[in-house]
Amino acid sequence: MSTTPAKPAARSLFVPVDCRIVSITELTPQEKLFRVEFPGGADLGHVPGQFVQVSILGLGEAPISVASSPTRRGSFELGVRRAGTLTGAMHRLKEGAVIGIRGPFGRPFDLERMGGKDLLLISGGCGLAPMRSLIQYCQDNPDDFGRITILYGAKSPEDMLFKDEIRDWEASERYACAATVDDVPGGSCYDGPVGQVTRLIPPLRIDPEKTVAAIVGPPVMYRFVIEELKKKGLAEDRIAVSLERQMRCGVGKCGHCTIEHLYCCLDGPVFWLNEVSGLRGAL
Amino acid sequence: MKALSLTELKNILRSLEDRYDVRAPIRLADGTRALGRLDEGELAVAGGRLPRKPTDVFFPQHDLIFTAPAEGAIESPAAPGKPLFVLGFTAEDLDCLEFIDRFFAAHYRDDLYFRLREGAVVGGVSGYCGEEGRMMRIAGDNCDLELVCDGERFIVAPRSAKGREIEGGIDCAVTDATLEELRQASDLLSDESRRILQKASELIRADRVPDDFWAEIGDLCIACTGCNLVCPTCTCYGVQDRSWRDRTERSRMWDSCQLDGFMREASGHNPLGTEALRSRRRIHHKLAADPTRWGHLTCYLCGRCDAACPTGIGIQSVARRIVSRFA
Repeated sequence: MSTTPAKPAARSLFVPVDCRIVSITELTPQEKLFRVEFPGGADLGHVPGQFVQVSILGLGEAPISVASSPTRRGSFELGVRRAGTLTGAMHRLKEGAVIGIRGPFGRPFDLERMGGKDLLLISGGCGLAPMRSLIQYCQDNPDDFGRITILYGAKSPEDMLFKDEIRDWEASERYACAATVDDVPGGSCYDGPVGQVTRLIPPLRIDPEKTVAAIVGPPVMYRFVIEELKKKGLAEDRIAVSLERQMRCGVGKCGHCTIEHLYCCLDGPVFWLNEVSGLRGAL
Repeated sequence: MKALSLTELKNILRSLEDRYDVRAPIRLADGTRALGRLDEGELAVAGGRLPRKPTDVFFPQHDLIFTAPAEGAIESPAAPGKPLFVLGFTAEDLDCLEFIDRFFAAHYRDDLYFRLREGAVVGGVSGYCGEEGRMMRIAGDNCDLELVCDGERFIVAPRSAKGREIEGGIDCAVTDATLEELRQASDLLSDESRRILQKASELIRADRVPDDFWAEIGDLCIACTGCNLVCPTCTCYGVQDRSWRDRTERSRMWDSCQLDGFMREASGHNPLGTEALRSRRRIHHKLAADPTRWGHLTCYLCGRCDAACPTGIGIQSVARRIVSRFA
């Protein structure tokens, strides 16, 4: 049985596009924000929650969630923690450097199902980077959503991402925003809340019929946050979880992103909790 | 129907070399059989399934993705000069090929796979040409051309337009033998292994196989990765860059879910962090996860992992243990 010959693809699925880093901002000692431009200023064409494959020749590729909203046009941003070979090399790059980009990939946040609802956006650690894409989207489309609550937890004050933006969200009448840290080292001038991000949930007033929650953070965070959300009456089909740490090739071929029968790169990284709560390895 | 002696078959394959990059089962210098070109060894069609998975002609162990010269644009590998003609798939191998064709076409069409697969002619081998002349199941479809051995000759059974075109060009003796007798013998082959596999699948999906069992299987696994390397439906790969002074090459290479680092994340978190979880994943994927996703098992009982595993935990062996203990 032979397959039907087809026209060769104009560009291989696996060949990245050269993109220029137009600015680099140090967020923490471990994280930097890279603003990246496609040739000719073309839009990436993503939706919050999606990711791209970042490529550095000689080192390979790594999947990175997009940290900016598609409403901020002309470039896109990637929040990158220095964790491995490729992200380490990214941290050594200077403005003007060229990186390869494939994507966007993956199933994003379901903006349609979130439309008109109060949003409870909970992130931990560098999970705030992908969540920021959704937060910015909400900022730029204020009429599309109800009340927006942003909760964020970091290990320490030094590890907090987007500190200036958090201050803006906290000051804004449009948002309820609270950030906390697990621990405050001696000598720190931090005077905000201390404790796990889960501690910020019980005081909230939530109408479970009108609310959709979204969670992005380290694996250990999900179980405890979900437990608190369930205590508030939120159903599993109203809790979106991004399993972005399990993404790999982006196109569902390499096999590394499987969660039982699901492929994180294709069926996720954003899932409704009821789709993954019974699956081993998901949470 | 047309029937070929081995010599005639060899001549036909030779004649196809003008149009195709012909690969067929050959005997290597060490006595083993493998897919190769005709001038690389003696034609060895009989002898049962090939030890190595034949699907590797389309999804090779190492596949160049692109070359990036130090100066200039990225270059994709050139299209093959001639399409492949691959003879040597068993009926089970053809089932596997049919599945991975769908896998590589789904969602995003994998252009690296189809660069080799598109236009290729696939030949099945069946009938009395198994190990020691035993009957091998007749495929009937999923190929362009099937050669069914009646014990002496290979009856040519075209299965597609391309197969009919090739068969039409074959000038050889016509036999009175029909495929009917051979098909009856093929139908009598035991399907006990399939029933066991199906039962094991049901037990896993019903959550009747406890974690202790997977820990036991995991303890037997030495992570040699042989099961994955020989499995025609294993398609996992990793990406690797290699740089020289004048260029960087990006390739993909088969990966194995039996290796500790298979799913380890940059943070160090590892969803498959124990041998028990990895052993479960290998079996669960084919017998439970894929049936949910694709609607069918993705082990087609080719038998290679059971033959390759040094500690006796190939998929059929594990399925038998599951059925004997938990049914």
